Amino acid sequence: MTKIVEVGPAGYMPTSAPAMGVELAPEGSALLYGNTVTPEEAMRDAAIALLTRKNPTIFPGPQVLWDWKEDVAEKSAAILDLASEIPNCKIIPMPDYRPKYPKIDVKAEINPNHPNLTILDNRIEACIFVGVHCHYANLTLRMIRAGTNCYTVALCAYMGHEEAMASIRDLHASDIAKFKEIVIEERNKLGIKWETTLPPENPSLPKEDNSTLSPADYGEYRSLIMTKKGEHITDAE
Amino acid sequence: MSLAYITPSERFKKYLPKDYVELIDFGPFGKTQEEAGPGNMGQFKELMEEHPMCSGCWMAYYIRLIFAALPCPEETVTIGTAGCGRLAISQAAVPFIYGNYGDQNAMASGLTRAFRLRFPDKTKDVLTIAGDGGTMDIGFSMTMHSWIRGERFTTIMLDNEVYGNTGGQSSGMSPKGAVLKMAPMGKDFEKMPATDLAKAAGCVYIVRMSPTNIKQAAKVIRRAIFVAREVGPTFIHAYTSCNIEYSIPTEDVFADAIELGKGRFKFDEYMTDEAKIVIERVEGEEKVARKARKAAKVAAAEAVN
Amino acid sequence: MSAVQRPVLNKKQVEMNYLLHEAPREKHFITGAQAMSEAVKRANVDMAIAYPITPQSEVMHLVGDVFAQGHIKEYYRAEEELGTMSAIAGASRAGVRLFTATSGPGLIRGLEAIASWPGHRVPAVLGILTRVINAPLSIQPDNIEMAYMMHCGAVMLHAENQQDTFDFTLAAFAIAEKVDVYIPVAVATEGFFVTHAKGYVDMMSEDLVYKEFDPVASPVPAMDNETPPARIQRDAPVQKSNFMSYLIHSVWQQEIWDSNSRAMKYIYEYLGGPIEVQNPEADVFVVASGCAAAQAREAWRYAQEEGLSVGLIKVKAIRPFPKDEIREAAKNAKALIVPEHNIIGWLSKEIQATIPNGGIVVEGPRVYGGMTLPVELIMVELYDALGIEHNIKL
Repeated sequence: MTKIVEVGPAGYMPTSAPAMGVELAPEGSALLYGNTVTPEEAMRDAAIALLTRKNPTIFPGPQVLWDWKEDVAEKSAAILDLASEIPNCKIIPMPDYRPKYPKIDVKAEINPNHPNLTILDNRIEACIFVGVHCHYANLTLRMIRAGTNCYTVALCAYMGHEEAMASIRDLHASDIAKFKEIVIEERNKLGIKWETTLPPENPSLPKEDNSTLSPADYGEYRSLIMTKKGEHITDAE
Repeated sequence: MSLAYITPSERFKKYLPKDYVELIDFGPFGKTQEEAGPGNMGQFKELMEEHPMCSGCWMAYYIRLIFAALPCPEETVTIGTAGCGRLAISQAAVPFIYGNYGDQNAMASGLTRAFRLRFPDKTKDVLTIAGDGGTMDIGFSMTMHSWIRGERFTTIMLDNEVYGNTGGQSSGMSPKGAVLKMAPMGKDFEKMPATDLAKAAGCVYIVRMSPTNIKQAAKVIRRAIFVAREVGPTFIHAYTSCNIEYSIPTEDVFADAIELGKGRFKFDEYMTDEAKIVIERVEGEEKVARKARKAAKVAAAEAVN
Repeated sequence: MSAVQRPVLNKKQVEMNYLLHEAPREKHFITGAQAMSEAVKRANVDMAIAYPITPQSEVMHLVGDVFAQGHIKEYYRAEEELGTMSAIAGASRAGVRLFTATSGPGLIRGLEAIASWPGHRVPAVLGILTRVINAPLSIQPDNIEMAYMMHCGAVMLHAENQQDTFDFTLAAFAIAEKVDVYIPVAVATEGFFVTHAKGYVDMMSEDLVYKEFDPVASPVPAMDNETPPARIQRDAPVQKSNFMSYLIHSVWQQEIWDSNSRAMKYIYEYLGGPIEVQNPEADVFVVASGCAAAQAREAWRYAQEEGLSVGLIKVKAIRPFPKDEIREAAKNAKALIVPEHNIIGWLSKEIQATIPNGGIVVEGPRVYGGMTLPVELIMVELYDALGIEHNIKL
């Protein structure tokens, strides 16, 4: 198989997968490195990546994080079942799509506008996106391919994603369960010992306390914010 | 009330960042003003906590107040345009639409009508919050026509009397004589009569104010929203100084707001008879509910004793 | 009368493929403006926003009648085109199906908003009833405004006649709303020549309508306080001055054009492909879109009668531009004659940039400012290309 869409980093400004000729897989099929394959083939390759690459992580998006639709409970349960079968898997959510101001807590969340920060800081080399609206998923998958060496898996309720290394379309909870079975099979084949364990809870950092900030915290920029001794600026210009 | 979209799916709650969990557990969604209103800011998780506005920015304070005063934040959408305000508005946990230049009232016209056709049995509040340039200069035609058409949403103009975000250019709302960029010899025409224009265009509830009194400012925001739900367009013209471009020392920002509140931003409230009926009814209902809650609280306390 | 009290019509909701390809049709003799409004009637549109400009006015006034009859839930006349196009963008956030139409100067006035629709993922349908851009003022047909529209990211279809106008408009809603497309689709046709002239249009019963808009099946969340996440801005200002901000904007732009190219498969599904080719073995082709394609078709008929080796390539989709299809169709051609209704020749430029041997493109004939395109103008170019002497006087 020729890999059209490969694990990055693809570079400064990569050509998009559709512009490289990748088309979305037809119903009943999946995409693997930009090629149309059976869902099982794509899942098997993705499972091996999640089992062998460093710091596998699942990024659940708003559509499965929030309790807005009937199928959410079933899907979120299936995702956690899957996560607990991947050794040392983490869950880092993407709760919304707005760029994070003033600074993202990279241990606690990922944002579609600057996904690299979370991927690189946590040295994530294999990940799954699930429940992210397609527009944002495409943007974020392309940015990850551009700037990181992360293997991306897209589990999509609609038509899938050209940018992911492995893309499953028309996702239901049963597909996630099937993926979990494939992960277990591949894990046993690889001889990896693992007891079903849920990922650790969200490790949100405590809020920064700006009241204790001192000029020293600004390091080399210190001179920019420091007024001269005794100086009180009351007038602009 | 549809809180479903801000309720975490049960199994994922412990995987959400703390910030979000706090917003759900201690935020204002589905709560009353006594629990989470301007009167007790600092005691609940606010919708807007962080913003990139300048130190001492009076506009940032007022925007924070708008979000604390919302009668139903979980059913509210805000629309803004280019300018300082949207830097803060976009940080709130309420959907925010950032369109093109000055088009906020045209967008809101489409949005409110679409909401009414999709959700005939629900109340969805739409607020446009834009600066003086966005509302009265570049967006003038769209602002005026939304009022003339009687579109039912609330327009809030954050008037800092200058184009702050682009670096201090004179706007239609700058006072006559102000020396600003693009008015190097001083602005040579009067400040636009925004509230008069609103009245002529058919706004049914209009307030001009310098929002120094939190309680009063919050009451005005709520009145404007209640009236827009049922009667027609409402307009709040609020002074939100630009301490940078007008060189107001941070410690004098409040005094400046008080001062202008006595001058060209002297409190002025206008309402039509129809608007008045709505306000009296809603505020009456609120009063009754408040009393009932108080009584229930007392009864509960007595039961414990 | 409020939206809630609108007359409720009992219609059967069907899939677009059934509507376009299977539903029985009846022949009607109607104008292009009527054809467009009849398509809107069957498209189950939630809301239409109107603003008059000749020659479009008749379309949106007829759509107003369609609203009054209860086929559309909400309709109003906006203040001007920027207000119209902005209101479409606002309404789209609420998750409803939308339609509006404009012409020449109106399109240019609304272009700031229209150019941001694709990036905002607004799946509205826009009718463009072509007209010159003013200076000096004129209301006449000329499709110069389409050149301005071509770089916005929207899907663009160009209708040859009243029947195309009907079919393309109807199909446009289905194309725009696909989860992997979800950008606006513009349906253009020539003002007056098509909008105000009658032609035969085969239409299905108005008791059939396209299935209703699904606000959930979308690549972006509807901002309706029903769809998570709560903290959203679909159009986040990514204007910090750092590399990640530049990168998000660039991949966002890529996504729009990728969405545009994904529309191609649906153009095949609903419209049988982006081009129509007649006499594929010919030496010389007339390549044209819109009204010029009608004249090109006539020239091709003349040529057939004279036994000339002439073919026709009608370009239905301007965006996504059918590069592969045109390259394939023109691979053995010796000359491509491109008649157009504008002075700059946007179609011939596109074709020159598409084929490896751009030198075979004959740039013209072109008419503009409202002038008609006599078939003889095309015949002159055909005879010249084939090296045939003629004495056509124009």
